[in-house]
Amino acid sequence: MSQAGFVGGQYQPLSKEQIITIHSAALKILAETGFTYENGLEEVLDLLSAAGMMVDREAGRIYFPKHIISELIERSPSRVLLCGRETENDLNLKGDHVYLGTGGAAIWVLDLNSGQLRDSTLKDIYDMGRLADRLRNIHFYLRPCIPKDIDKELYDENVFYACFKATGKHVMAGVNDEKGLDTMLNMAAGIAGKESDFLERPFASVITSFAISPLKLCTQSTKIMMAAVRQHVPVALSCAPMAGSTSPITMAGTLVLTHAEQLAGIALAQVVSPGAPVLYGGIPGMANLNNLGYLGGAVEFGIMNAAIHQLAKHINVPNYNSSGLSDAKIPDAQAGWEKGMSTLLVAMGGSNYVHHAAGMLDSMLAVSYEQLVIDDEIIGMSNQVLKGIEVDPEHLALDVIDEIGPGNAFIKSKHTRKHMLSEYYTTNGVTNRKKYERWVGDGSPDTWDRARRIAQAILSESEQSYLPESVDAWIRKTYDIRLYH
Amino acid sequence: MTIYQAIAQALAECDQVKVEQSVTQALADGCQAKAILDEGLMGGMEIIGGLMEREEILIPEVIGAAEIMADVIDKKLKSNLMDEDMNPYGKAVFATVRGDIHDIGKNLVIMMLESAGFELVDLGVDVAEDRIVAAVKEHKPKLLCLSALLTTTMPMIETTIQATVESGIRDQVKILIGGAPLDEAFAREVGADGYALDASHAIKVAKDLVMVSEAD
Repeated sequence: MSQAGFVGGQYQPLSKEQIITIHSAALKILAETGFTYENGLEEVLDLLSAAGMMVDREAGRIYFPKHIISELIERSPSRVLLCGRETENDLNLKGDHVYLGTGGAAIWVLDLNSGQLRDSTLKDIYDMGRLADRLRNIHFYLRPCIPKDIDKELYDENVFYACFKATGKHVMAGVNDEKGLDTMLNMAAGIAGKESDFLERPFASVITSFAISPLKLCTQSTKIMMAAVRQHVPVALSCAPMAGSTSPITMAGTLVLTHAEQLAGIALAQVVSPGAPVLYGGIPGMANLNNLGYLGGAVEFGIMNAAIHQLAKHINVPNYNSSGLSDAKIPDAQAGWEKGMSTLLVAMGGSNYVHHAAGMLDSMLAVSYEQLVIDDEIIGMSNQVLKGIEVDPEHLALDVIDEIGPGNAFIKSKHTRKHMLSEYYTTNGVTNRKKYERWVGDGSPDTWDRARRIAQAILSESEQSYLPESVDAWIRKTYDIRLYH
Repeated sequence: MTIYQAIAQALAECDQVKVEQSVTQALADGCQAKAILDEGLMGGMEIIGGLMEREEILIPEVIGAAEIMADVIDKKLKSNLMDEDMNPYGKAVFATVRGDIHDIGKNLVIMMLESAGFELVDLGVDVAEDRIVAAVKEHKPKLLCLSALLTTTMPMIETTIQATVESGIRDQVKILIGGAPLDEAFAREVGADGYALDASHAIKVAKDLVMVSEAD
């Protein structure tokens, strides 16, 4: 039974007028303030110029006329299909359909056995992938951390190998360069049989942080983005301004800047490859004004990420953004309330592809196996809200009420047994509802303890490789794979 | 509370009106401009530095305070100060290393060091080693401050320090490094003289390094 893709949109922080105001303001920014760019983007400048943008090479500015942007974004598909290896894990990204999963380029891991913080490794990417694969409410696997134990040149082949081996859910990651994109495509084609099979049912995609906020094209990421759209590899056009630091301190100012950056990115993608599947990837965030780091758990993060989906929906492009970040350092109550609130807000907002939603701690810096288990629960509960309440003859249960009769009990009814598991959210086990004495008898386990037991149990199950032996062998022969058994 | 403490407190509270009133009062009472600067205004920035270290003040407030200080010096004290009074710690050259375009942290440190009595030369971002060496030769600073924010640009710190060795200017300057992926161990490895965790830490380390070089 699918536990994903439910329809959100119940929470709409922006009114229709506000959406139009922000959209017009974003077009004004692009027409009058424009973008700047790093060195090495001559091809992009030529393409944009030929498509009608005003490029001032002396001042280093690109101006996007409103009517051209508006026409270009029409070409972007209103639905993007990201696949799992099997159709049951497919992500039908459109409208207000909501999917949530892991993500982040964390550099530390809370060790599952010692509870201490340490550097993240390639094996963590594999093990977290295995854990995410078994958790019902994690809808996709975006690599959660950086493999700091291997050389940077080996990242792309190893990250994708670890993800492809660990899970049958959709896999997403960034790549170092265009060569990394080719590596991913080649590996995926090998798994699918041939490249066209993969592109028809893409079980992997990439992220390109093409814009350095505010309003600057990043050479490396833009080139990767162009290579991706040319080959119709689905790509998330990521930008992540921080209010007060790389965008205005105000929410409206951050939203308009984020939207402007996305409009420019989508326009560029459609100039390069009309009809290419892209995800609107604006992630409005906040700077921690006490230390200029990234702020994770503010409630306004949830508000803004619900709002940015409204803006993406306004131009009919499926969106990628975030929820579930927290500034807590361990799986504690702060992590609970911050993640609970932001994930609920963003799910109810209707965002299509919500990453960072499982496993992150200390804003963007750390991941935790136990937190992954806890966040699976939070996502599951949030999804349940989207399902709403069924009111039909079966659920109204008039005949049952009449049959049981006034003054009697429903506990023995067949109707109760028929609906008890499907009507309500079923915990993954981390939520404790036992009587007090039982809980004490179990060792008075707190949330962190209970999540640890579940994570350890799942990870000790036998490994199931999602790579057939022959494919695994071929990959290991072709690339320098550092994931050992 | 002395008049200097009152000035320091007012600055720590970012109250420009109160700062100006207290400074005016101090001048009227016959206090020396240098003492007002050192004990009053810089005293205020020290309080702020302490709050910054404990993450108990918002950075925009820190920037606001530095602007108030610069404004008050300009309006009320400059005519009574010598250059050495303003910049007792001498010159510092700043750069974000080649390949790296991050500068928010660096700019905060520059602002704090300026308020603490350094004279700043900012080379900007993505600065090649030869430009840095040329700037050190031209400005003859006591301090060279290098910033890198990416694990991929960290190696450029070592390359830059190497360039100063090769051009024979390494011992003319103390090198201080900073940036999120760096730490003390890395600083020792690459031959830097000091490492600063954040802007408030940078003030302490920078002053210590300059004192040491004076003693050399």
